[in-house]
Amino acid sequence: MSKTFNRFFRYITFKQFTIFNLLTIILIFIIGVGISIGSFEFSVLKYFNNSLTTLEKEVLMNIRFPRVILAAVVGAALSMSGACLQGLFRNPLADPGLIGVSAGAALGAAFSIAMSAEFFPDFLLTPYLLPFSAILGSAFVISILFIITRGFGFEGMTYMLLAGIAINAFAGVGIGILTYISDDAELRGLTFWTMGSFGGVTWTLIIPAIIIILSTIIWTLRISRKLDLLQLGESEAYRLGVDIKKLRFDIIMSSAIIVGISVSLTGMIGFVGLVVPHLVRLFGGVNHHYLLPCSALTGAILMVSSDLLSRILIQPAELPVGLITSAIGSPFFLWLIFRMRNK
Amino acid sequence: MSIEIKNISYTVKDFEILKEVSLKIKKNEIFSLLGPNGSGKSTLLRIVSGDIQPNFGTVKFDDTMLDKISIIDRARIRSVMSQSQEIIYDFSVKEVIEMGWLEGKEFVTEKFDNALIKVGDECKISHLFDKSFNQLSGGEKRKVHFARTLIQMYNKDFETKSRYIMLDEPTANLDISHELQLIKILKKKSQEGFGIFIILHDLNLAYHFSDKVAFIKKGKIHALGTPNEVYKEEILSDVYDLDVSFDKTIKKISYY
Repeated sequence: MSKTFNRFFRYITFKQFTIFNLLTIILIFIIGVGISIGSFEFSVLKYFNNSLTTLEKEVLMNIRFPRVILAAVVGAALSMSGACLQGLFRNPLADPGLIGVSAGAALGAAFSIAMSAEFFPDFLLTPYLLPFSAILGSAFVISILFIITRGFGFEGMTYMLLAGIAINAFAGVGIGILTYISDDAELRGLTFWTMGSFGGVTWTLIIPAIIIILSTIIWTLRISRKLDLLQLGESEAYRLGVDIKKLRFDIIMSSAIIVGISVSLTGMIGFVGLVVPHLVRLFGGVNHHYLLPCSALTGAILMVSSDLLSRILIQPAELPVGLITSAIGSPFFLWLIFRMRNK
Repeated sequence: MSIEIKNISYTVKDFEILKEVSLKIKKNEIFSLLGPNGSGKSTLLRIVSGDIQPNFGTVKFDDTMLDKISIIDRARIRSVMSQSQEIIYDFSVKEVIEMGWLEGKEFVTEKFDNALIKVGDECKISHLFDKSFNQLSGGEKRKVHFARTLIQMYNKDFETKSRYIMLDEPTANLDISHELQLIKILKKKSQEGFGIFIILHDLNLAYHFSDKVAFIKKGKIHALGTPNEVYKEEILSDVYDLDVSFDKTIKKISYY
């Protein structure tokens, strides 16, 4: 652990370290704002002199706080996964949503919602069946993508996006069929889940998710150096002592786990994984010792802010948070394509 | 102290790319591999560096079989400069060179910084360190990759019997003065104790700077020896299917 820590400081510049600290401060601030504002108005500061009413305390600790924390963790997860995939594929357009990984997770999740009654009895683990099948779905899609794009070198970009379109369409069909054959109760579950939101989460469900996602993120930080070397090309990285097969497996599995869990808890939230790593590269550089942790922080900031917007824009109703991230992300995506064309 | 290559054969889909190739790359020597396009030079280099496994034959580094050496240890005893050079993201030149630096048990900043200064002086690229790699010219990119290949061999933390530098046409894209500069650095490295294995196209350059030369044609070693032994008009003409003349007084090859 201390080795990782030392390396981190070796490879980042003073400017990058400053950005890292600034992002941390902004994240703490925005989390504070996130738990202070909502359709139910009261002063959060009252928490500190213990003068909250029971209802206010309930809203703060069991509604807003888990929601904001989940938003931060999911934002970090999606951005981290985007940064890792962009590094692995050496392709700036890789994003768990765009290339179909989220859709795979969604299909897996939908499958478990619609089929759980048929195949699994109501036992204790059922709440965790959903994240688990979402992880399987996303791992499956990433493996397919890898088989399709390997060996295509720099042309992999087009192939991967086309494959993503196909996979997204296929997942759409799958979810459609599952919706069609579901009974009323399952349909209800499926519909609520597909709309995607951070609302209605409970500590029991998100605590294991947070632990798994955060530990996966920290574990993934170890591969920063290898991801840097991979940018020279696979054979070059191999010659520098990187076990390419293991690296691929590590990235694919960690992305599948964090995207799978995120999607299973919140539905599909697009473009975060695409936009955030690009922003972070624009701020201060491209090396992964800087890029990975700062992407996680920026993703968390962006997601908590989007969730905040989704709650306050049309109070007391709520916009789906995926709508907001896509509204920010899709023009950014167009700009990215435009810029690449002009290069 | 040498790399010993014995009876290497490599076949892809019934096509024999290399046939029973044997040679020895010693430390303190520049070993140049020459031959027409498609003769199997790059494949041989990839086998020697450990990228691919031959169908038959063995590669030994200082009496250890190559496939018994872990990929991390391989990185410590040989560095490879290949022809590819594109990097998608906007790394700085310094970061690209740093990718070649192998970490020991601990990362000692001073060691790396000293190596960086050394390699920057040797390759005369210190002024490029803070530039963006992707904004360099093709020739400058080559030089940066060359510096990265050198610095990979500069961490003395690892105990190795000998170290080797392998290069696949490192002088492509370089103008004649930079070409000469690069080959002179390699000459110096060989005198410092490195073994150099290099694929070249320029016959004159190879003649003047190599200690050993091998001509390879259609996957077979056609001639092997010191430049003076193998630079014969009939051998050269045979290898390239071209009338090549060799002026012994001024030691120049001409073919047009």
